[in-house]
Amino acid sequence: MQKGRQKQNIGFGFAAILTVLPLVCIVFSLFFGRLHISPSEVLLALVNHKGVTPASAVAVLELRLPRAVAAAFAGASLAVSGAAFQSIFRNPLVNSGILGVSNGAGFGACVAIVFFGGGVFTYIFSFIFAVSAVILSYFAGRISRVTTTITMILGGTIVGAFFSALVSIMKYVADPYSQLPGITFWFMGSFASIGYPQLYAAIPMGLGMLLIFLSRWRLNVLSMGEKEAASLGVDVRKSQIMIIGGATLCTAAAVCISGTIGWVGLVIPHIGRMLTGNSNQKLIPVSISLGACFMVIMDLLARTLTGSEIPVGILCALIGTPFFVYLLKKTRGGFAT
Amino acid sequence: MILRIENLSFSYDNTPVLSGVSLEVSEGEAVCLLGPNGSGKTTMLDCVLGFHRHFSGSIEVCGKDVLSLSRPEAAKYISYVPQLHTPTFPYTVREVVLMGRTARSGLLGAPGKEDYEASDRAIRKVGIEDFAARPYTELSGGERKLVLLARAFAQSAPLIVLDEPTGSLDFKNELLFLETLTDLILYEGISVLMATHALQHPLYFESEGLKTKAAMLCRNKPVRTGAPGEIITSENLLEIYGVRAAVTETSDSDGKTVKSVTVFGSEDRF
Repeated sequence: MQKGRQKQNIGFGFAAILTVLPLVCIVFSLFFGRLHISPSEVLLALVNHKGVTPASAVAVLELRLPRAVAAAFAGASLAVSGAAFQSIFRNPLVNSGILGVSNGAGFGACVAIVFFGGGVFTYIFSFIFAVSAVILSYFAGRISRVTTTITMILGGTIVGAFFSALVSIMKYVADPYSQLPGITFWFMGSFASIGYPQLYAAIPMGLGMLLIFLSRWRLNVLSMGEKEAASLGVDVRKSQIMIIGGATLCTAAAVCISGTIGWVGLVIPHIGRMLTGNSNQKLIPVSISLGACFMVIMDLLARTLTGSEIPVGILCALIGTPFFVYLLKKTRGGFAT
Repeated sequence: MILRIENLSFSYDNTPVLSGVSLEVSEGEAVCLLGPNGSGKTTMLDCVLGFHRHFSGSIEVCGKDVLSLSRPEAAKYISYVPQLHTPTFPYTVREVVLMGRTARSGLLGAPGKEDYEASDRAIRKVGIEDFAARPYTELSGGERKLVLLARAFAQSAPLIVLDEPTGSLDFKNELLFLETLTDLILYEGISVLMATHALQHPLYFESEGLKTKAAMLCRNKPVRTGAPGEIITSENLLEIYGVRAAVTETSDSDGKTVKSVTVFGSEDRF
C-alpha cells in the first residue's frame, strides 16, 4: 500500500526534474544559431554582458532568449490544454484545437493582416477571435437539451469549420502580393518574430496553466463521465468552465504569438501517458514540462537546420505525424500504455 | 431515517414515469427497486441522486432536501455505483477508488493523506487488494463492479445507490458482489437503495438476516412496498411482469432457508 501511495503523488525529486528540464533546454538552445557565437561568449553574454561583441549580445539576449522562452510557454500551453481536453472530452484523439481555437485565431490574424496591416493587431485580433471561437463552441454545444461532451466537440467542429470558411474568404480578398504571403506564413506557425513585447502572452498562458494544474485531480474524475463525476461530488459545470477557460487562455495566447502549431497538443500528452501513466495528477505537470522542452528543441531545429528558417509548425507536424502513426500501431488504436 | 421519498412524480415530456411514489430507507436497511424495463427504476434513482431535478414531491436524505444540496454536499450523503462502462483512460484501481474521496476536498483540492488511507481501507474491506495496482480497464466485469463498490464505500456516505449492479456478472461474481454488499450493510451500517432485475436479490438479503424491503414499480400502477416475501408473490409477478411463476422455499443441510422464484412461462405465449 505504501509503495502505491508514493507512486501517485509527484515526489519532490520528480517535480524538480520537471522544472529543471525546460530550463536546461532553453539555455541549451541559446548556444546555437545562424550567427556563430562561441559557447564562452554566450555564457558571458548571459552572465555580465561584458566581453562580448554587441552583435553577439543582441543575438543571445534579444533574439534567442525571448524566442526560447516564448516557445517553452507555447509548447507547455498547447500540451497541457491537449491533455486537459482529452480528459474532459473523454477522447484520447482530441487536441488543444478541438474547440475551434486555431481557426478562430487564424481568422483574427487574417483580419489584422488584411485590414490593419498586421503587426501588433495580429496578436490582439487572433487572441480575441480564438477566445470567441471557444465561447461560441461551448454555447453551441450547450444549446441541445441533452448536453454532453460529444455535443461540445460537435460545437467545436462546427464553429471551427465556420471560421475556416471565413479564413478562406479573407484569403480570397487579400492582396496576393502584400498580404497573402503573411497569412500563409502565419498558418505555418513560427516564433521568428518573437521579441520581449510578445512575452506578455506568457501572462494568459501562465494563468491558464495554473487553472488546469489546480484542476488536475478533478480531470481524472471528469473523465469518468459527467454523471459519475457529479455523483462523486464534482460540480461538473463549474469545473468544466474553469478547465476550458484555462485551456482557452493557454492555447489562444500560444497560437496568437506563434501561429498554428498542430500536433503538440495531441502527441505530447500521449508521450506523457506512456511515461507516467494516465492519472492527471502526474500527466498535467509532465505535459507542461515535456511540451516546453519539445517546442524549444523544435524551434531550435527550425532556426538552425537550414540556411533559412523552417516554420516550426511544419517541423512539428513532420515529426509528429509518423510518431502518431507509431503510437496508434503500438496501442492498436485503443488506448492503453 | 436515511432516505425519505414522498409522493414522487416525474414525467419525460408529458409521459409520466413515476406518479406518487413514496419510499423510505432506514439505517442499515437494503431496499430493492423491482419492476419491468421502463417502470421507472433508474429514473427514481436519478431523482434521488439529483440528476433529475424537475420532479414533484420531496426527497430527503438524512433530513435534508436533495434539491438544496450542492454536488459535494450530496456526495457526502449518497454514493453511487453506476452501471458498468469502460472508461477512456486506463487508471489504476487505486486511482479509481480514490475518486470516491473527491467530495471531501474543496473545489481545487487534491486528495490528501487521510483520503489515501480511506481508499486503502475501502480496498481492503471489499477485498480487492490483489488487483489494486492494475489498470481498471483490464479487469473483468465482476472485478470492476467490486472496484466501483469500493469507490462508493470510500466516499463514506450513509447511503449507497446501485443501478443494476450485477447486470452483466456471472453466477459466482453476482453472489460475490451481493455477499460483499451484505457485509458492508451488516458491519459498516451502510444503507442501500438498489435497482435490480433479479427478484432473487431481496430474497437473498432477507435470508442473510438484513432489514430488507422490496418495492415493485409498474407504470400507471401504484408502487407496492413491503417485505420481500409479501411483494414477490405469484400474483404480483403475474400482474406486473405478466409471468406465471411460483415462490418456493428450499433449505440446505444447515437448515438455512432460502426463497426462490420458479418460472413457468410468460403470459403472452401459449
